[in-house]
Amino acid sequence: MDNESFTDLAMRVISREATDDERRALEAEFVSAPARREEFERLKLTHDVLRATAPMAQAARAITPGLPAYRVNELRTAVRQHFGPAANRPKSRATSGGLISVLRWIFAGGGLAMLGCAVVLLCFENRSIEIGLYQTDLMRNGDKGLSAADVPSARLVAFDQDGAFDQWQNRPLAWNERAKIWVDNEHDLLHIVRRVQIGQVLTDTRPLAPTNEGQREQIKRVVEELKNQSL
Amino acid sequence: MWTDRDLLAALQRGDGEAWDEAFRRLYPAAFAAARHPLAALTPSEAEDIAIEALTLLLPKVKHVAEFDELRLLVITIASRKAISERRRQLAGKRGGGDLTSLDAMQDDETIRFEPAEQLLTRLSGTDLRELSQLLDAALSGLEPRQADLLRDFLMHHLPYRELAEKYRMPIGSIGVSLARGLDKIRAQLQTMPKLSKELAAYLR
Repeated sequence: MDNESFTDLAMRVISREATDDERRALEAEFVSAPARREEFERLKLTHDVLRATAPMAQAARAITPGLPAYRVNELRTAVRQHFGPAANRPKSRATSGGLISVLRWIFAGGGLAMLGCAVVLLCFENRSIEIGLYQTDLMRNGDKGLSAADVPSARLVAFDQDGAFDQWQNRPLAWNERAKIWVDNEHDLLHIVRRVQIGQVLTDTRPLAPTNEGQREQIKRVVEELKNQSL
Repeated sequence: MWTDRDLLAALQRGDGEAWDEAFRRLYPAAFAAARHPLAALTPSEAEDIAIEALTLLLPKVKHVAEFDELRLLVITIASRKAISERRRQLAGKRGGGDLTSLDAMQDDETIRFEPAEQLLTRLSGTDLRELSQLLDAALSGLEPRQADLLRDFLMHHLPYRELAEKYRMPIGSIGVSLARGLDKIRAQLQTMPKLSKELAAYLR
């Protein structure tokens, strides 16, 4: 076998482009010319190293896509869990001094009272659940689609345009919101952004049910789940 | 606007705004690494891997001397996790069935992940940086068309058929052309004996 034919055959085998016959032909070549095996191994090693690492070298230069806004809260939660809330305080607040100590002592009562009010508000607020969807989906799916009657404890928010829908999806949960849900038909996913405890918001994605009826039942179940979830 | 040094110092203190900025800067690299062609994950799977890789930087930030090390670190973490995930998916699909023949082993895709996983587990940020510089040097020394062909094969894992169509070459000459390019990179790699030896050892 000439050099060029051997190189072509070796590369086909290494790249998993070879047929069974070609693999057997290469084995036969190793038997008749044992030095070829070393040549093959050298080529394969270079190939394996570079196929594994070259995409990583390329990744270092990536500038897109941007971080999806709906994943930001998840990352912030991880930062808080790792460093604890104290680590986020600006350094200036750690300054101590006589006057500051006195003021702190005087205002401590007011601070406590305000904290008490906040806790009461948090306990009694009406934490809402919103379901975002396109107006066209509402009209197109008719009886089979989701309606306000299916999810009385949630609020349907219908959008006409992508921009407004994207903005709604990316907006962090307001203090009085418990969760928001939307269907991602492009990727067949159901997105759920929910508050699991005070100050902690999680994002779930679940595979979307394949039919309109299935999706309606799936969303009803998720709303019930969220409604029954205690904070 | 943060300088890299200020940003790293703030990250090590646990400053929330600094972490927002770091995640914003590092996400594209993490996502690109999670879309490693060997893993072939969907965009939403890759997004999950990228987010997980970013959170895994938190315990490592104290041991890092430069912000750019975080980029290299997140790339190695995300690539490794993506390949492991793919391997797990394939193992699940096949139900861990026994392999009986050599031919079957050749065809088993999970086997091709082993060397890659092993390599990525041990590859350090410094190795990756050196390798990246080496690749740049080697590819810039090639004729542009050959460099593009090799880039498409190594970085995007295009199959022969697509390479032949894209470069209007007979399919029979693709392998020879790729082998020549690989030889040139290997020659470049041999000018860095330490890296070359480490990479070879990981694959054995």
